[in-house]
Amino acid sequence: MNRGEFMRADYINLVNTHIIPIEFTYHAPETIEEALKLLREYQGQAMVIAGGTDLIVDMKLRRKEPKHIISLGRIRELDYIIEEDSGIRIGAATKLRSIEKSRIVYERFEALHLAVKSIASIQVRNMGTLVGNICNASPAADSAPPLLIYEAIVTAQNLEGARKILMKDFFTGPGKTCLRNDEIVTEIFIPYPPRDSTSSFLKISRVGMDLAKVNIALLLKFNSNVVEDFRIALGAVAPTPLRILRAEEYLKHKPVNEENLRKVEEIVSEEIKPITDVRSTEWYRREVSKALVRDALNIAVNKVMRK
Amino acid sequence: MIEVTFILNGRLVKIQTEPNITLLDLLREELRITSVKRGCETGECGACTVLLDDKPVNSCLILAPMIDGRRILTVEGLTKDRELHPLQESFIEEFALQCGYCTPGMLLTSKALLDLNPSPTIEEIKEALSGNLCRCGAYQQIINAILRASEKLRRRLNYKP
Amino acid sequence: MNFHVIGRKTIRKDALARVTGAEKYASDIYLPNMLHARVLKSPYPHAIVKKIDTRRAEEIGAIVITFKDVPGRLFCPRLVSTPDATYKDWKVLTDKPAYVGEPIAAVAAETEELAQKALELIEVEYQVLEAVFDPLESMKEGAPKIHEKILLNDRVINVENNIACKLELEEGDLEEAFNKSDIIIEREFRTNKGYHNQLEPKVAVVNPEPDGGITIWCTTQTIHNTRLLVSEIFNIPVSKINVKKLALGGGFGSSIQTNIVVPIAVALALKARRPVRLAYTKEEDMHEHSSFQMIFRFKVGVTRDGRLTGGYMENIMDIGAHQIQAYPLLGTCAGWWVSLYKLKAIKYIGVAVYTNKIPSCAYRGYGNPQVTWAVETIMDELAEMLGMDPIEFRLKNYVGEGDLFWGQGPTVKSVIRSCGVEEILRKGSELIGWKNRPKPGEQKGRYRRGIGIARGYHTSSAGSPIPSQVIDYSGAILKVNEDGTVDYITALIDQGGGTLDAHAKIIAEELGLPLKNVNIVSADSQTTIYDVCTHASRGVYAGGGAALNVARQVKKKILELASNVLNAYPHTLKIRPDEERGQAVIYVEGVPGKEITLGELATLARIKNWGTIAAVESFRPPACPPHFTGYFVEVVVDTETGIVKPLRVVIGADIGTVINPELAEGQLHGGFMMGWSRAILEDLRYSKDTGDIECKGFIIDYKMPTSKDIPEEITTFFVETYEPTGPFGAKGLGEGAQNPAIAAIANAIYNATGIRFYELPITPEKILEKIREKEKREPMKVVAEKLIDE
Repeated sequence: MNRGEFMRADYINLVNTHIIPIEFTYHAPETIEEALKLLREYQGQAMVIAGGTDLIVDMKLRRKEPKHIISLGRIRELDYIIEEDSGIRIGAATKLRSIEKSRIVYERFEALHLAVKSIASIQVRNMGTLVGNICNASPAADSAPPLLIYEAIVTAQNLEGARKILMKDFFTGPGKTCLRNDEIVTEIFIPYPPRDSTSSFLKISRVGMDLAKVNIALLLKFNSNVVEDFRIALGAVAPTPLRILRAEEYLKHKPVNEENLRKVEEIVSEEIKPITDVRSTEWYRREVSKALVRDALNIAVNKVMRK
Repeated sequence: MIEVTFILNGRLVKIQTEPNITLLDLLREELRITSVKRGCETGECGACTVLLDDKPVNSCLILAPMIDGRRILTVEGLTKDRELHPLQESFIEEFALQCGYCTPGMLLTSKALLDLNPSPTIEEIKEALSGNLCRCGAYQQIINAILRASEKLRRRLNYKP
Repeated sequence: MNFHVIGRKTIRKDALARVTGAEKYASDIYLPNMLHARVLKSPYPHAIVKKIDTRRAEEIGAIVITFKDVPGRLFCPRLVSTPDATYKDWKVLTDKPAYVGEPIAAVAAETEELAQKALELIEVEYQVLEAVFDPLESMKEGAPKIHEKILLNDRVINVENNIACKLELEEGDLEEAFNKSDIIIEREFRTNKGYHNQLEPKVAVVNPEPDGGITIWCTTQTIHNTRLLVSEIFNIPVSKINVKKLALGGGFGSSIQTNIVVPIAVALALKARRPVRLAYTKEEDMHEHSSFQMIFRFKVGVTRDGRLTGGYMENIMDIGAHQIQAYPLLGTCAGWWVSLYKLKAIKYIGVAVYTNKIPSCAYRGYGNPQVTWAVETIMDELAEMLGMDPIEFRLKNYVGEGDLFWGQGPTVKSVIRSCGVEEILRKGSELIGWKNRPKPGEQKGRYRRGIGIARGYHTSSAGSPIPSQVIDYSGAILKVNEDGTVDYITALIDQGGGTLDAHAKIIAEELGLPLKNVNIVSADSQTTIYDVCTHASRGVYAGGGAALNVARQVKKKILELASNVLNAYPHTLKIRPDEERGQAVIYVEGVPGKEITLGELATLARIKNWGTIAAVESFRPPACPPHFTGYFVEVVVDTETGIVKPLRVVIGADIGTVINPELAEGQLHGGFMMGWSRAILEDLRYSKDTGDIECKGFIIDYKMPTSKDIPEEITTFFVETYEPTGPFGAKGLGEGAQNPAIAAIANAIYNATGIRFYELPITPEKILEKIREKEKREPMKVVAEKLIDE
């Protein structure tokens, strides 16, 4: 949802948010198979729409001009949150609002729950989907850091079959993913985090409803006062949402004390590659990332203590 | 042209439209439902909020074919037999509007909130309204109105035989 | 005073229409057989159109106009000042665009989709010119010339160094004043370029009438000035133009001038001979208007005992590419300054400078929030240097009752007759806990609280005892109906604050009517008499003055007729609201049975051919009384992120008699929210790469506060004063409701952090940077350490 960015030079006369100033054919297949066939048939000219909250704005802004739109709205089989032994599966048509309200997400994936809750407005969450949020591949996508720390697995399908993509491999650049143009993401699988681990999500933005200047998700597990598992990911600080493996390695088997915390902050601020844009500055993003690391860790530690 | 059938404020509507028409356009330009306001038309301001199957959505971000077979409520449908909805009464009584441009969207978002959560906390109200901007800055009065409407609704329920 | 409706809680007359979706805004007007219009805008901040080819657009059936098809004479879209003080540099469509977004051509077609297609088929060849975005750069020799020749009234003048207009003022001996000062402070302040962000984007619907006339439905704060301007541009007799009065989805100054959509839609409708609707999108709206952006340089002297001596103020105003009466703003900025605190000598230099940016216009406060921010920052700094309590220091120096007040620059002045400043400051400081506020910069720890105070005011109207360079009068028509109600007909636009409800109450009060018997009826420029504009917080004071005077006339007629019927002397008759009968009753006190309802009287007047009881009043306010406000704001600053949050806000106001307490309170709440937004959030920053605003017109990147950003607590109070020149003692409020907000917030941030900010907005980025410069990042106790200790 980087709506001000990547615009054509003559945008001022092309953009018209009153209408969708382009024409397209609308397809509403009822099965995945049918959708995949359409996508293959119109390969390169078609775009998949789930909630539409990003694509419709992109069309009004003339950043995307598909000739065919394939809606997943009628594919009932894609709207689900299924609990399994090892994790949960979320279908591509599942609305963000359903995920926010899901008991299992709230109980087992708190960082994801909080991240989803912080995305745009209730109106947008009633329309938008989790899969849409990641497929749009905004570096600031709020759901991305949690999905990175939970090591989610994306299922992408084309007519030949399905393939699994690790979350860490999914984003390739701002607005870019590793999806091929005949593939549809049908599902995200999120493994349960380790027993007795806690997770947290934080975000800094300009007002109460906003995109992130910086967002962060982390997961923490102690074993007799030293860190056994630590995962950390930040958004809006690099071309793609970023997991900071070096910080994770550093903190493992160590206690969370001032010295170690400083070091983690330092590593994070070295690893991120923020830019200055309309929402914030490079310097600020780097600086507050440290505060976010500390706050998110504090929250996670607090939760451990309460348990 | 495609045909879209949906229920608008309790009434069945069948209409021929193009797929690149938004729900906002369909309601305003074709059906003259002018309570649904044009604001930013990018999903930020909430002036075009309608209830789609009882849930608030930005009608500027929905393609007309996406509402086929579904239910839409606008402020015109809030009033039943000329009797105001408790939220409408409360917005009047709490002076929860100034220029009035955000009001229809505010009312619909509030209705969806109270339908699911009849006794919301102030924090829950603030959260629910964060997608409806009011430049006149009447947020406090709007929150008061929702609290008042919530009480009215509760009283009404209690009085039910 | 004992009023029967004034000051009482009554529901808004327009509320029912607004909660049922029935209210009609200009954007809700659709005419049969109407065309939809779009505007071709310059993609360059400065360019010359070398060639424009519209054939392909016309081939698909669109009506197209370019700069060649519109009258070439320069105009000014705002008609509030007198012609001799009005600079003109606008064209409806231009061949030399001076900002990204300036209209070049326009199309009208059967649908918006078709209009959009036609727009994209217009071929333009531009010669791109060098552009300038900074006023200081713009004034330098060799800077690109934005305008060569403009008009002052009807006189051609050459523009030098991109200076649009200038104003210099001098009173007293400043050198002597500074010589007598013990402390002299010098400061520079930079303000932000704000966008009104009214929810309703600008729109015009125009219907060409068969007799050559035109009817216009549009977003406006003045139907009469709209009609005058359209007449001036298109040379159509004023009487043939009718502008309809509608609800306005927020104004805040953005429609004091006639929005550019109006003349463009008129030009298209005249060419097409069909109704045309031109509705701007939000992103176009943001390219239509914005606030002025100023650089202030101040030098102020004070004696050791805390008396201000004299002051120097320089005001370099970035006005963007065109003048929307920048000249009077140069005057008001001086006025806002000298009317805050007493200065024995002053020198003021105001310069309005063209840049290749969106034209600037009034934005709630007309320079006052910015000037007050600077002055109230300096007052705080001086108080600290003197070791005085900032409130006592202010009370020692403020301009109050009996002093001369500049309501709208140097030509609009009157003597202050009502003033509640001291009570506002005393009561407000108690409510906020002023005595217990922290010492600036002494706090440690991550979260730091601070309390800031600022006071201010705004004029109520631009009235004055003598003629000035600002036009200010209002008009009202009132007629009595046979059912005992009255129809109130006024051109005055309600921006949303409930101004017309105040008028209705004034009329009801004067006529002894139940409030429901005052009908605010639909109106347009044909059926109303002149009202200048809803600006300068004049709605209740000036418009209400017209309402009161017209009601007085009607009352006189009612009493004359009733005296015949009741056989009593007119001056002995009384009127009371009879709630049971739902009528005003005219009666003779102490004589039972000698009474008649207003409805009976009006009916009798018809049957007996006495004529309609009605009156018309054109009213010039005799003064420009300031309404005063005081802000007390408590904030908390997170020193790890620079984020500031409002905790408690106390706002006191002296608005004379309070006519609608709940609506007045709403103005104060709204004033704070807008002030908060302007203090910490809003700025139309320009990108050197595109020459356009960074957010490109999308509010996703021009944020304003949401429901989640409001303070934990807002307390408001009104002090009791009575303005002798106001209707039932009332004054204005709309702008004073906001004016000191920015200053109080900035002072609160200083109180919390010990850091002064001289540039708006005070963003978390700026705050954090200053905090990091000032102090090392302290280790924060990590809860986890406890875990380890245990």
